Amino acid sequence: MVIKTDTNLLTAALDRVVPPVGDLPGAGGLGLAEEVIKRSAADFRFQDALTTVLGDLPSPDDFLALDEDGQDDALRTAESSHPDAFGLWLDVVYTVYYMQPEVHQRLSWHGRSPQPEGNIMPPWDESVLGVIRQREPFWRKV
Amino acid sequence: MTTTEHNPDRTADVLIVGAGASGAAVAASLSEAGFDVVCIEQGHWQDSFKYPTADPDFELKAMSSWSINPNKRRLPEDYPVNVEDSAVDPVMFNGVGGSTIMWVAHTPRLHPSDFRVKSQDGVADDWPISYEDLEPWYDLNDHVMGCSGISGDPANPPRSERPMPPIPIGRDGEMIAGAFDRLGWHWWPSDAYINSTRYGQGRDACNFCGHNMMGCYQRAKASTDLTYWPRAIDQGAELVTGARVREITTDSAGSATGVNYLDTEGNDRHRAARSVVMAANGVGTPRLMLLSDSENHPAGISNSSGLVGKNLMFHMFGGASGVFPDHVDPWVGPVANIILSQEFYETDPDRGFLRGYTFQMSRGQGPGSIARGVAGHRVPWGEDHHAVLERRFRNTLGLGSIGDDLPEEHNSVTLDERLTDSSGLPAPKITYRVSDNSRALLDHAIAQGTKVLEEAGATEILVNPQSRETGWHLLGTARMGDDPERSVVDKNGLSHDVDNLFIVDGSVFVTGGAVNPTPTIQAIALRTADYITNNRGDLKA
Repeated sequence: MVIKTDTNLLTAALDRVVPPVGDLPGAGGLGLAEEVIKRSAADFRFQDALTTVLGDLPSPDDFLALDEDGQDDALRTAESSHPDAFGLWLDVVYTVYYMQPEVHQRLSWHGRSPQPEGNIMPPWDESVLGVIRQREPFWRKV
Repeated sequence: MTTTEHNPDRTADVLIVGAGASGAAVAASLSEAGFDVVCIEQGHWQDSFKYPTADPDFELKAMSSWSINPNKRRLPEDYPVNVEDSAVDPVMFNGVGGSTIMWVAHTPRLHPSDFRVKSQDGVADDWPISYEDLEPWYDLNDHVMGCSGISGDPANPPRSERPMPPIPIGRDGEMIAGAFDRLGWHWWPSDAYINSTRYGQGRDACNFCGHNMMGCYQRAKASTDLTYWPRAIDQGAELVTGARVREITTDSAGSATGVNYLDTEGNDRHRAARSVVMAANGVGTPRLMLLSDSENHPAGISNSSGLVGKNLMFHMFGGASGVFPDHVDPWVGPVANIILSQEFYETDPDRGFLRGYTFQMSRGQGPGSIARGVAGHRVPWGEDHHAVLERRFRNTLGLGSIGDDLPEEHNSVTLDERLTDSSGLPAPKITYRVSDNSRALLDHAIAQGTKVLEEAGATEILVNPQSRETGWHLLGTARMGDDPERSVVDKNGLSHDVDNLFIVDGSVFVTGGAVNPTPTIQAIALRTADYITNNRGDLKA
């Protein structure tokens, strides 16, 4: 169960984990805390990880009162306390962040498998086999 | 496709457990030969137009409901696997098509030497069949599944013309191939069960969308729900889905009489059959055999050798990834069947290990998976995050190695004493450790792979000593052989103990080789089906 104050804490933590870049806000500034909470609720492993990480951080008021270095220190403490949970939480945060269209735009990435049009590749060119075709068979006879 | 009304109270000629790579092949072959076939599958049909690869959240689904790992996917049709004592997690898919739904469709063949490991290298055992014995069924399977590729590979015996030309290897493939050429090392375009042209019923050519592990929207990637099953059903085979077999039943003489299973509603039911074919993969098959103990089979069915569940082989998987200075856009084209190298496939005692490995080039996927970790290297959080992500995202290619994994009896599938599936049946427990030989083999592969990537121009190398979630290849747990004390089934897949029980999945492998096993599994299944057709008319009503 994640409560409102946790959302504020999570938003602040997300901005330290995936900070702003260029004109793009950090993961917290993009408003992804609610999305992380929602997606985590769908899988008990993700939910456990989120709860563990939030539980390892200072209270929301205390965390928000810290400067950026202090917040990073608190996150590093949580990471060293429960590395597996922190890692899984990080995986969820990253994956949710890289689902966002504005992030895709910044990376010049299409955002998903382009169906049905697909991608373009140069056609198969047999001349690339020129060197290896000269090699004698070398499989081991039995 | 036509469907036939089936009487569930009849005694079928053949009952197959599992509708994946091997079960589908047997179902098609035997139904075409006039056998009355029923198959029971715990999963369901898939709709290729609903595969999540086109969804914006596909990378999140790959971590949960569409994970390759049943312990993460946790669907009702999955069973949990206890991996506390295993260095590798088995991965699989339960549904019509089995793990051919979630595979890369990379389809090399075993080498002749793989069938003669004992004779040649003095370890493990020889198979009771040879490469030449299996070759006709390799060819048949290549045509049914649809193989893209090109013959002439000097690392392998000559093989028939491939049904389709190779999938283009791309600029990135040419980069890696050029590095192999300059090193004087072997490489070849991968054989792939992916259409490079239209091929098969309703199956388009690959559109290079890039994310084909989680099912193929174009139906270009072969899966047996698209290849063998329509043929089998056209010939009258019955496929029961959402039904979980809990035991193989036997009569007073110990012969198989069918199976008991739980239907979709959880009702306990029996299906009678004159023979049973196990096709539930190298974990599911021994699990069910161990669950099928009886007065005649006190240690589980067909287990007089004590080898059911023993000698589990996964293939060791490790490698290196290279980060290149220029964009390679690795999301264009199939994930992992581009080119392979078998320069180090055969034993060379000077290397410090026996047997060898195949290099397999791989591409990346979306930024989420890159951030979670190329070769296990998660992008750091904090101020460096964006710089590291951007350096890797469009610029990384992998060179994985699939290493031969020699059989060891302590690597095993047993029944867990506490963990159960959603039906309350004991779950499998995996016990598996990486051998010294496998470790030395992987270390060699990583060192040589690093050379290739650096030769290709990589400026940063990310090493993956051994991946945990890579137990794609489930082999060896009901091995074939001539000696009933050293094997579970004979060279035709027939149980040494039970005269109407056959096994056709990866369980029957004696050794694993160093290639993806599905073409071999399917060739073995087709060969067993032909054996039944030609020699077991007694099983037909």
